[in-house]
Amino acid sequence: MPKRIAILQILTVAAAVGIAFHSALAQNEGKAGSGAEAKTTAAGETMDRAKVLRAVADALGMVRWSDIGAGATRLPGIDIVNTMEIFASGTVYNAGQPSTAEYHAALAYIPPAMRVEITRKDGDAASQHTIQTVRENFAWNESEIGAGLIPGKGTATPAMPASKARLLRLWILPYGVVKAAIAAGDKTKISTENGATVFTFPLSGGLAGITVKATLDSKNFVTKVETTPDNSSLTNMATETEYSDYADHGEVLTDIKSPGRIVQKQTGRPVLDLQVKMVDANNPYLVFPVPPNVKAATPASASGTAGN
Amino acid sequence: MRSCRYCFIAVVALSSLFPAAVLAQEFSTLKRTINAPPKPSGTTPRTADGHPDLTGVWNGLGDNLLGVPNQIANDGVSIDSENASHDIFSGTQIATFPRNATRGLNNEQGERAASLLRRVGSNRPVYKPQYWEMVKEFDQNANEEDPSNNCMPAGIPRAGIPSYIGQYPNYFIFIYPGQGGLIATQTMYRMIPADGRKHTPLEDLDGTYTGEGIAHWEGDTLVVDTWGFNSSTWFDQIGGYFHSENMHVIERFHRDGNTLAWTATVDDPDVLLEPWTTTPRVALLNPKPDAMLPESLPCSERDLTHTVTKEHH
Repeated sequence: MPKRIAILQILTVAAAVGIAFHSALAQNEGKAGSGAEAKTTAAGETMDRAKVLRAVADALGMVRWSDIGAGATRLPGIDIVNTMEIFASGTVYNAGQPSTAEYHAALAYIPPAMRVEITRKDGDAASQHTIQTVRENFAWNESEIGAGLIPGKGTATPAMPASKARLLRLWILPYGVVKAAIAAGDKTKISTENGATVFTFPLSGGLAGITVKATLDSKNFVTKVETTPDNSSLTNMATETEYSDYADHGEVLTDIKSPGRIVQKQTGRPVLDLQVKMVDANNPYLVFPVPPNVKAATPASASGTAGN
Repeated sequence: MRSCRYCFIAVVALSSLFPAAVLAQEFSTLKRTINAPPKPSGTTPRTADGHPDLTGVWNGLGDNLLGVPNQIANDGVSIDSENASHDIFSGTQIATFPRNATRGLNNEQGERAASLLRRVGSNRPVYKPQYWEMVKEFDQNANEEDPSNNCMPAGIPRAGIPSYIGQYPNYFIFIYPGQGGLIATQTMYRMIPADGRKHTPLEDLDGTYTGEGIAHWEGDTLVVDTWGFNSSTWFDQIGGYFHSENMHVIERFHRDGNTLAWTATVDDPDVLLEPWTTTPRVALLNPKPDAMLPESLPCSERDLTHTVTKEHH
């Protein structure tokens, strides 16, 4: 049953992505389709959703095509961001208490999944090590990477109620914001605030009820992402994340730009202040198989996905 | 963060070493803006014993390995039109954009784009957790680590669809011309019996690059069951997908008119958590009745000592 739900959701959102982006492209070419929508700002400047999202995707290095064998090949560009690894250090906050920490995130968008490994060091106290993993509507904690997949190798503890909050981390990254905004189609609105381009859109699937607002700088990088829940059951999904110092942080260069600093608040309180050390954006080998005991546990009521 | 011991140049020179690919492309009449599998046409010929006849030169889309559209499809992304693409394994739509007409790619950008395009698909084998880091490291350092970058045979199933199949009543001949560049690999051939024999016990076999393959028919599908490999190859074109000598591969070939569909399922309980099946590939029959395979130039690896970054296909 969960698998069937997941497939239906994938198909539904996939159709939305296709339809949304086609209409956006048509608008871009001056052929406004039924879903095309343009907003005129107070300054009278017409903003084009497809153009804005393309500009952000280009700034981040998400759009690629191949020129190898160009004589016989003219493939269009596609969104090439799927898997990624982020290594950072800085401060993490637990119930308002700051700790120096090492942060390591492995993530994927197809299927939506993320593994966040945090090692806290509080003075002379022993390090605290947590691994929080999510894949679609399954969430679990690992005693070690890949725990619970092979008998006797670590423990995987189901943590289904955390699945939405963990998936939200994925979709508020700059790449997730672009993917989800494209998936939202004509529900994505473009405007300007204090001279900066802003786009807002609702998340879908299990994250329905959350509106995302992304602010761009003059280079079309995402500098701020705010999430606003529309009901009290999602209160802890109110986040504000600031991204800065974009660069290609890869050891293997990819031309994908990632933020060098990430500062995040949840319900107004600081939760992360990270300095990024390295990003492997070359779609590295990252897998997120769900351990059998987690599969057997009751999944969250709906898959927390947006755009995939 | 690991130190950058070798800082490579972009490996653009690789593309100059594609004799088989270049020669094969002369047979192609398609200028490709998509990479969706070709639709079959014509009838499927049959041999006297009633089986589909797979005999032919199967490089009608250019080379089976090196054509960029094929590479992207082989690794899991179907570009269906100018504005629609999807991940073949999951069905997930992938945002598709017009090419940027005002900005060409320089060589480094082209290499980086190719590397990303070939890794975006979600169909990844699931290794046991203790090998996850190793696979990632192999892929990241493929310029040095990939066995096929040193003119070794690609092995099975990495070699994919043979460029030539000869079908006889009790055996098949598969020929895989050597390539330069992307996979600087040796020419391989396989002589595969289809006479009902059983496999040699694994412990009695010395591992080889192509293993002990035995074919049989399941309806109109040719099934080639192979074991007895050495562990000196990777089993797909990307990803550092190493394997043990216990790898067992089942390939399925199905001819429909002028197309040949192929998949391979890899089972290796020593290193994989579960069997893995490749993204299906489809080759097009070379339409020329007098089609020949060109001679492959000797494989000679000359790029590695000049590389200064880790970029690679």
